[in-house]
Amino acid sequence: MKIKAQVSMALNLDKCIGCHTCSITCKNAWTKRRGAEYMYFNNVETRPGVGYPKHWEDQNKWKGGWVLNNGKLELATGSKTTRLAKLFYHPQQPELKDYFEPWTYDYETLIHSKRKNHQPVARPRSLVTNERMEVTWGPNWDDDLAGGDSARSDENFKKMEEEITMDFHDIFMKYLPRLCNHCLNPACVGACPSGAIYKRDEDGVVLVSQDICRGWRHCIPSCPYKKVFYNWETNKAEKCIFCYPRVENGLPTICSETCVGRIRYMGVLFYDMDKVDEVTHTENPQDIYGKMLDVLLDPNDPAVVEEAKKQGIPDQWIAAAQDSPVYRLVKEWQIALPLHAEYRTVPMVWYIPPMSPILRRMEAQTEFPDTLSMRIPIAYMAQLLSAGNEDVIRRILRKLLDVRGYMRLRETKKSTAQYDTIYGENTLYDMFRLLSIAKYRDRFNIPTGNNVSREDKEVLQGADGFPGCEGGCFQ
Amino acid sequence: MSDFVWGGLPYIAFTFLIVGTIVRYVVSERNWTTKSSEFLDKKHAKWGEPIFHFALLCVIGGHVMGILIPQIVTESLGMSETQYHDMALMAGAPAGILLVLAFFYLMWRRFLSGSAAYLKANTSTMDKWLYFFLGITILTGITGTLSNADGAFNYRLFIGPWFRGLLYFDPQPGLMLHIPLIFKIHMLSWMTVAILFPFTRLVHCLSIPFRYLWRAPIVYRKR
Repeated sequence: MKIKAQVSMALNLDKCIGCHTCSITCKNAWTKRRGAEYMYFNNVETRPGVGYPKHWEDQNKWKGGWVLNNGKLELATGSKTTRLAKLFYHPQQPELKDYFEPWTYDYETLIHSKRKNHQPVARPRSLVTNERMEVTWGPNWDDDLAGGDSARSDENFKKMEEEITMDFHDIFMKYLPRLCNHCLNPACVGACPSGAIYKRDEDGVVLVSQDICRGWRHCIPSCPYKKVFYNWETNKAEKCIFCYPRVENGLPTICSETCVGRIRYMGVLFYDMDKVDEVTHTENPQDIYGKMLDVLLDPNDPAVVEEAKKQGIPDQWIAAAQDSPVYRLVKEWQIALPLHAEYRTVPMVWYIPPMSPILRRMEAQTEFPDTLSMRIPIAYMAQLLSAGNEDVIRRILRKLLDVRGYMRLRETKKSTAQYDTIYGENTLYDMFRLLSIAKYRDRFNIPTGNNVSREDKEVLQGADGFPGCEGGCFQ
Repeated sequence: MSDFVWGGLPYIAFTFLIVGTIVRYVVSERNWTTKSSEFLDKKHAKWGEPIFHFALLCVIGGHVMGILIPQIVTESLGMSETQYHDMALMAGAPAGILLVLAFFYLMWRRFLSGSAAYLKANTSTMDKWLYFFLGITILTGITGTLSNADGAFNYRLFIGPWFRGLLYFDPQPGLMLHIPLIFKIHMLSWMTVAILFPFTRLVHCLSIPFRYLWRAPIVYRKR
């Protein structure tokens, strides 16, 4: 057993209102620079829709993620040698127009315009070419199902057996905030010819070293979520850094911090590194989710704690893992799912599927709706979150409905026995507290400080300047 | 003067090439990159870039053979000078022509095509100087090769020994006095390119990621 700590995030889609506050704070903090204007480390997509960049889920086009080839795991973009042949031109690399061309407006004309019969207009100007441009696509062009046919060309519909009509009376939508998943088996890391991208040993954050990156661009098509970006000014790759300067200080990422819907949770997960291979080699994509849960270790298991201590994971990290909101949502209650686990990158950002209004004809008959009568088709959510396994989604929605049923009984001072026998005394109340009340301290539990032992810290501070103490003088 | 040009300037060029590159690597590895423009224009990069790089590698390989291997060696292997020249021309001329075509195609792409406005964001002033001298080097190279198709000027008796002399720190500027002008320009322009090398995107040719072939797929690193 090789225990690793992973700072992980869970998003409660039920409460996402699609306000883009996360995207904007992230952009202001990290990508408001020349060459990075088009990047959204965090973006919110309206689903169904084509997403950002356009059709990122179409892996026939981009060849993102890993595939099983006769039981052998390899990158969908091909073997190492075939990909070295793509150094000079990568056929699967997205280009600027697959995202959008960033622009500003000629605001100066509003001030300096001569007196005219008509008001001066601030016309759009490209931030890449500095020339006038027509704005024809943006990062949220299809927000709230706008933008014509964009919703109908959602990639997930192609894999669904159920026909989605998108008629006005049963049209549906939901929001999907997306960021780098800081995967356990990151395809971008596997694809980087320079070895510039790495997974941080201490907290699992996936980073691009701006020194080592040579701009070979193989990470960009390889990431199935298209969350590595090419900076056309510095000519190096950039990606979500999980706000590591904040996380290192025990603060949540800026997208989590500013989320007005309080949908984001952050905490530590322990996983068994030796078992990750098993997950990625799972034959049936629908089984990957279950195997992912097996990889996550129970931080309250004394054997795990003992082993973690032995492997040098500091006490404050163990304590944080034991009180991790993400662990509770993902493993204990099993209501959070990985996005497109079938890409085999073992993503570490989890999504709680959203409830949706029940269709009117059902509403009249029942006090609490059945999951089947919800507006968002189960089959569609299953494509996004469970590789098409509808039972998983149904089970989770049932649980979320039960929280409501339980709370209704509890608030009206009725017996909750029918739920207590299934879930135990207080489980549903705890779920209600974490999901609905969602206090700041409950949502985030990130250990401060370096993920190193006290002895190592002394060494880092310079104690090894004294001669004769190999590995520090504190043994 | 000719002593300086053929005995001193090459060492200045080598110094820039080696010391300058090391300094750049140590001081500002952060801007060491291929400076790929595929993101801004993919359409024309599709054929232009691979062909240009392939032809360039062929041409470089030809130069290594022609310059570094003395004529005595090939002759002792039973290959006469005419045979060698014919072989070099048969292999070199197509590669050279391909290189010239691809080079001009890429220059057209960068400065004149429909994507030129976008590629401007990828073209610095230093890039323009580089393209200028690289263009002269490539053009004089192909002109020299084609104008010398009959092999009247045996560069392996002049340029080859001169270059190898530089490498043994035994410069022989005298060898270069009477070579055709086109070859002289070719020499001067490659030396300029070598001087510019550490300041340009050319450094990416030292970053061919061979190590990747042996590396474990997932990299872990400590803070």
